[in-house]
Amino acid sequence: MLDDHLIGVLSNMGMISFIALSAYLVLVVGEISFGQQAFFAVSAYASGIASAMWGWPFLAAVLWGAAVAGLAGLLLAIPTLRIRGLYFAIATLAFAEMVRLALEIFTYQVEQDGELVGPNGSEGFRDIRYIYEADISAGEFLLVILALLAATLAIILWIERTRLGAILRMVGEDPVLARLQGVNVNLAKIATVAAAGLVAGIGGALYAHLNTYVEPKIFNVMLGVHGLAYGLIGGLGTAFGPLLGVALDIGVLESTRAFSGYRMIVFGGLVAVLLIVRPRGLLDEAAVYRIRRFLLRKHAGD
Amino acid sequence: MADFLQNCLDGIATGSAYALLALGFTLIFGVLRRLNLSYGPSIMAGVFAGTALYTAFNAGLAEIAIATVIGAVVVGAYIERLCFWAIRKDMAVASMVSSFVIWMQIEEGVTLLFPDRTYAFPGILADAVVEFGPFFLRASSLAMLAIAALAVLGLLGLIYRTHFGLAVRAVSENPEAARVAGVNTGLVTLLAFACASALGGLAGFLIAAGDEQITPLFGLWATFKGLIAMMLGGMGSIPGAVLGGLLLGVVEANALWYLGVETRDLIAYMLLFAVLTFRPGGLMGQAALMARRAAESRV
Repeated sequence: MLDDHLIGVLSNMGMISFIALSAYLVLVVGEISFGQQAFFAVSAYASGIASAMWGWPFLAAVLWGAAVAGLAGLLLAIPTLRIRGLYFAIATLAFAEMVRLALEIFTYQVEQDGELVGPNGSEGFRDIRYIYEADISAGEFLLVILALLAATLAIILWIERTRLGAILRMVGEDPVLARLQGVNVNLAKIATVAAAGLVAGIGGALYAHLNTYVEPKIFNVMLGVHGLAYGLIGGLGTAFGPLLGVALDIGVLESTRAFSGYRMIVFGGLVAVLLIVRPRGLLDEAAVYRIRRFLLRKHAGD
Repeated sequence: MADFLQNCLDGIATGSAYALLALGFTLIFGVLRRLNLSYGPSIMAGVFAGTALYTAFNAGLAEIAIATVIGAVVVGAYIERLCFWAIRKDMAVASMVSSFVIWMQIEEGVTLLFPDRTYAFPGILADAVVEFGPFFLRASSLAMLAIAALAVLGLLGLIYRTHFGLAVRAVSENPEAARVAGVNTGLVTLLAFACASALGGLAGFLIAAGDEQITPLFGLWATFKGLIAMMLGGMGSIPGAVLGGLLLGVVEANALWYLGVETRDLIAYMLLFAVLTFRPGGLMGQAALMARRAAESRV
């Protein structure tokens, strides 16, 4: 079996992948978000409240957390419809900081077995004990993470192959042309930002239940910037791109410990150089096209 | 009412620091039409250069101020080459992301060189207080306000009265046309960036001298406060930067007094979000934004 360290690394990669996929979805419709950590946070709290305080089963709590995060996505998407580019990016940054600072104040506790349970402002939210009570090992939880990640990835990949996926890319490439083609650009953007919130929310719910403890300062801007950077490193041509970014950063830079102490310097430099030489990441649209053609030719040759 | 007035004075005091930070931000945005999120960290690196000179050689104030400005300009030039010059002109957002990751790099670099939490910085006028009847204002804040006012006049003069300013405005309006007309766009951009960094270094020196200490977290603080102040005033507007800085300071001081420290930053971000959604051009930049949009829609 896998050792504990490896399980921990893989679990972290799995959970951060949800933020990376979420930031990627917003990138596909042509916007940059520095704020996807907000949805991760909202769902971590909402699902923790559902399972630890209301006694909901785990899967229901995860779905509830994701749904609340999706609603938060709507809340961000509707007022920011008019703004684009830099303005949208800074608005997402402000939104995420608003969520984090609101969680610093948010207190909602009930007494359970003589102890107060629930979010307590900047003290954080302790005792989300589901995995102890249900006696789930770290390895089993990793399987849950990977299964949900695979399902999310499969849905995104499937949507990318449909007409809807083409429409979303069109909105990202040129919203004016897309509108001239009869695409409802506003609806596409609102739906994508809400869906991105939902995807980040799945990750947040898993994070809260694996760590049993969350506090607002975990969900700071750096979390969101990492999520965004993964898509930009890995590539915007396919949903595998952000996962490649996660694997490169956590799998190679963090886990090998070769760069410990210098990790941010290496990571920052890597992203900056990639943005110059490959502004749409390693797996950009051209690379995806070449790989697909290569695979098809091989298939035809068999 | 007395509380409110004293809060406003306190707000103007912090707001003058925000205004100085916002001025550098707005200068960079005005020329490049891009955001430099590493602006705060570059100032922080400059202030640490000053602090190193102070702790190692017990240097005088003038030398420390010069070291701070030079440090900020050198780091600023690194950012300009890597995140702005090397990235294509139409990729404003890529530049912004790039400057964000370089921020992490600068912050970690400074933390490696200066591992303690805080470092001493020589103070000027740190304890002096100016009284107006029952109200009072720190003398260092008054000095900052005066320097911010001078900086506005200096910048307006530089941009609208000199040959270099004409080149800057030409590059800002249309880089391609400016190049064809014989302007060395790369050099003009680099120099404008250096101006903004020098102004930032000056702001960093004054803020650190007022606090008599510096931490690596200063970069984050400077970027966020300067960014919010600039966006409130309007991106690219020079008077707007000062107005936005003072407004942010006054709102924060009152929020702190009436609602507490946790709510202060929340109110600041809510204000930013509201301005971005309802009036994205900010208080002074709306006309310029609308003119630009109208021009884009004609193209």
